Amino acid sequence: MKITIFNGEPDASSEFDAYVHEVAAQMATSGHNVETIDLRDLDIKGCSGCWGCWAKTPGECVKRDDTEQTCRAVVHSDLVVLAAPMVMGFTSALLKRMADQMIPLVHPYGLIEGGEMHHRPRYEHYSLMGLLLGAGPDTDTEDIAITQKMWSRTARNLKTRLAFTSVADRPAKEVAHELATVA
Amino acid sequence: MSSLLLLNGSPRGTRSNSMKMLTRVGEGWVHGGGDEPEVLHLALEQDRTRAVEAFGAADTVVLGMPLYADSMPGLVMGFIETLAPYVGREGNPRFGFLVQSGFPEALHSRPLERYLAKLATRLGCEYAGTIVRPGGEALQVMPDRANKKLWESLREVGKSLHVGGEFDSLVLSRIAGKERLSPTMVRVMSLASKAPVTEFYWNGLLKKNGAWGKRFDAPYASA
Repeated sequence: MKITIFNGEPDASSEFDAYVHEVAAQMATSGHNVETIDLRDLDIKGCSGCWGCWAKTPGECVKRDDTEQTCRAVVHSDLVVLAAPMVMGFTSALLKRMADQMIPLVHPYGLIEGGEMHHRPRYEHYSLMGLLLGAGPDTDTEDIAITQKMWSRTARNLKTRLAFTSVADRPAKEVAHELATVA
Repeated sequence: MSSLLLLNGSPRGTRSNSMKMLTRVGEGWVHGGGDEPEVLHLALEQDRTRAVEAFGAADTVVLGMPLYADSMPGLVMGFIETLAPYVGREGNPRFGFLVQSGFPEALHSRPLERYLAKLATRLGCEYAGTIVRPGGEALQVMPDRANKKLWESLREVGKSLHVGGEFDSLVLSRIAGKERLSPTMVRVMSLASKAPVTEFYWNGLLKKNGAWGKRFDAPYASA
């Protein structure tokens, strides 16, 4: 199984960062094809709502930054793991800046799904999504529920679903095993 | 004690739908007897730096933003991260929000609204409410007078923010409009298998940009 981890930890020396890499190593040990993308090392220019990716260069951000790599991973993996520390009740801004630039993967055209308006798919395949959260000292269960809800809706608009959510307070081996069995 | 800080969290900056809407909220605030608000655009670097300091000095803050990928834009989350030093501080401002989305139904913005309400609580701010407005992209195409009712409602909530300390909930539900599509709308749109209004708008843009022939391109399809 092809698994890509989008690591949204800005601090390379944190415990959570080490945890994310340990989860990746454990999954690789079980024979999966695992790639970890440390978002802090990418050039992410940020979405400025120009609609270029929908109306000028369909399917591609006009800014030509490294989010081409993360977009590509979404349509070529079986599972994408969104990993980030919780800051002020949500996942890091680093992860969100990358996610804003995933909209080239869908059409601006609408599609009714489950009685709601959503975007029409541009690709045949979109990977499943998983959420791996590094809880902060102030993180409570409501924060996790709200965060999970928002990301599950993001996944839905990316024509896939959030199939896994966990906080990084369990052995990496256990989480790696569960992640590898969702897809 | 009636200073209002309007924070525009749209990555489009000054020329954004969020700003158009915030402007009317500010007008209502002034009609209600409040001082002329200070406006800062988070898309501008110098404003972003100033915003953190101005947040601490204001009596009331309204942060407006578009819905991006079903939550706040990364730009806004970056700003929220910089508010961490204000958690639990005495004398934090009253905090209200505005979320506008391109979807026709309000329901898409509700999880973000829930987050923002919790954010105000986390900071120890009094929560003034969240203005939720779907169908936002129409503001770019429609002439300003077509939005007269919306502007008036936004002025009303701006006024109630000054007079009563929070957005008037009845006006908020008027602004939010449809929570979800009616069964008839769902049937009509499903049958058409596309939303004619949306198609019309996007096809016009694609043609104008000479990108019509590439509209179904899937540049990342090959490995």
